[in-house]
Amino acid sequence: MIRLPALARSTHKWLALFVALQAVLWTLGGIYMTAVHIDIIHGDHLVKASPEPALALAGLVEPSHLAHLAPGLKSARLETQLNRPVYVVEATEGRALFDARTGEKLSPLGQAAAETRAKALFAERGGVVSADYLTKAPLEMQTRPMPVWRIEFEGAWRPTLYISPLTGELVTRRHDLWRMFDIVWMLHIMDYDDRQDVNNLLLQGFTWLTVLGSATGGWLLLYSFRRRRRRKAA
Amino acid sequence: MLLIRTLHKWFGLVLGLQFLLWALSGAVMALLDHHKVSGDHALLPLAELTSGPNPTSLDAVQTVVGPGIIKLELKPLFDRWVYQATTTDGVRLLDAGSAAPFQVDAALARSLAIARYAGAASVESVSLVTASTHETRDMARPVWRVAFEDADHTALFVSRATGEVLGAKTDTWRLWDIAWMLHIMNYGDRQSFNHPLIVTVATGVAWLALSGLILLFRSFRRSDVAWITGPFQSFAERRTKARSGSIPTTSTRESDDRHPPTVQGPSSPPQTERI
Repeated sequence: MIRLPALARSTHKWLALFVALQAVLWTLGGIYMTAVHIDIIHGDHLVKASPEPALALAGLVEPSHLAHLAPGLKSARLETQLNRPVYVVEATEGRALFDARTGEKLSPLGQAAAETRAKALFAERGGVVSADYLTKAPLEMQTRPMPVWRIEFEGAWRPTLYISPLTGELVTRRHDLWRMFDIVWMLHIMDYDDRQDVNNLLLQGFTWLTVLGSATGGWLLLYSFRRRRRRKAA
Repeated sequence: MLLIRTLHKWFGLVLGLQFLLWALSGAVMALLDHHKVSGDHALLPLAELTSGPNPTSLDAVQTVVGPGIIKLELKPLFDRWVYQATTTDGVRLLDAGSAAPFQVDAALARSLAIARYAGAASVESVSLVTASTHETRDMARPVWRVAFEDADHTALFVSRATGEVLGAKTDTWRLWDIAWMLHIMNYGDRQSFNHPLIVTVATGVAWLALSGLILLFRSFRRSDVAWITGPFQSFAERRTKARSGSIPTTSTRESDDRHPPTVQGPSSPPQTERI
């Protein structure tokens, strides 16, 4: 008959053979995800938190006129962009941006307009390194709607702002700390495709094997300290 | 190697339980369907109004709301068009046609929730949540909590300021949230995972895992894998024997310098107890 300590050691060893490398990735990744604050990962510091000014409504294009500008109006928002009152409109044909003083359609924004917008939002000092018009979402844009202007700035960790050409809005911001976090997250949830599926079979299998692996480790501890005490007593 | 073994043992004794909890809570979160956890499955998509807006003038809005409008939205809210004015003091809702101001009270919150609820159960209760709770910690408060009488104890959350349905929470989410609490080691508000305790423990457990990985290289003997290599070895030996016509004096099995050169079969007991 196999002795219990030997069984504990053997199962612990064999389970560890399969999960040890992943456990190292989980824990090292865990240190990164917990040590770097999530607000920094999100890039909150990259965007100016300037208070928005009150709108002067007098003389602006009336909301009742918007249905003519954008047929099939679904919603509209009057706000200030670059010190100019604008309407961000969603309609049957999609989203669009209008000058709220003249009713002129501003979208889709060209490169100069998108860069101006990004520069006004960017909280750090660096200038624009590159501006690209994207119609296909890069991995770091996840499921966000396209098209988008990708404006990269000089500065630590390649700060990048994504501006919607249709609405002028900041869609999101990215920098290398976020990109690193995303790789760590991919390794953490073991979804090497789109890094989103936390219910994949590989992860489910590995997590339960790790539960068994650590439980047998605990079992093994029962024998690991008793032996030493016995030796001392002898 | 003995030092690493001792360290692995002691780190395991002190931090092993948290490693087990991480694995267990991770396994539970991996099993719980994230569509159900997010509560999206309990919500219907926003219905579109059949008729377009017939909005009143900006002047009328300004008269009701006063100065200091930062943002003005024209949007459907369930069965009618509304103006949502964000001012320096907060958010005001107005009927888009008449500019009459209104508030999201319990009755309105109830019908807004029913309109988005994907199930068939009836409303059990409507209550206002002002303080941060586990369910509402990520929402702008105050919110109306509209609970339904279904098996999953679904609750929809309606913003008192904007009337928007901010999300749904179910028992699946509540179970997930316990696993999440154990995973991020935040037993208070279960929100932040950037705190000194978890960074410290994670560093210790990273060493536990790393030392375990290192130990693996010393823990496997030829006898452990004999059930795989055995047939190949006996084949190789037979070939050598057939070629030279004599029994080789040293078998490859015995050349493992880390362990006593004892030939073992797959069913032999371990040669040394190293627990």
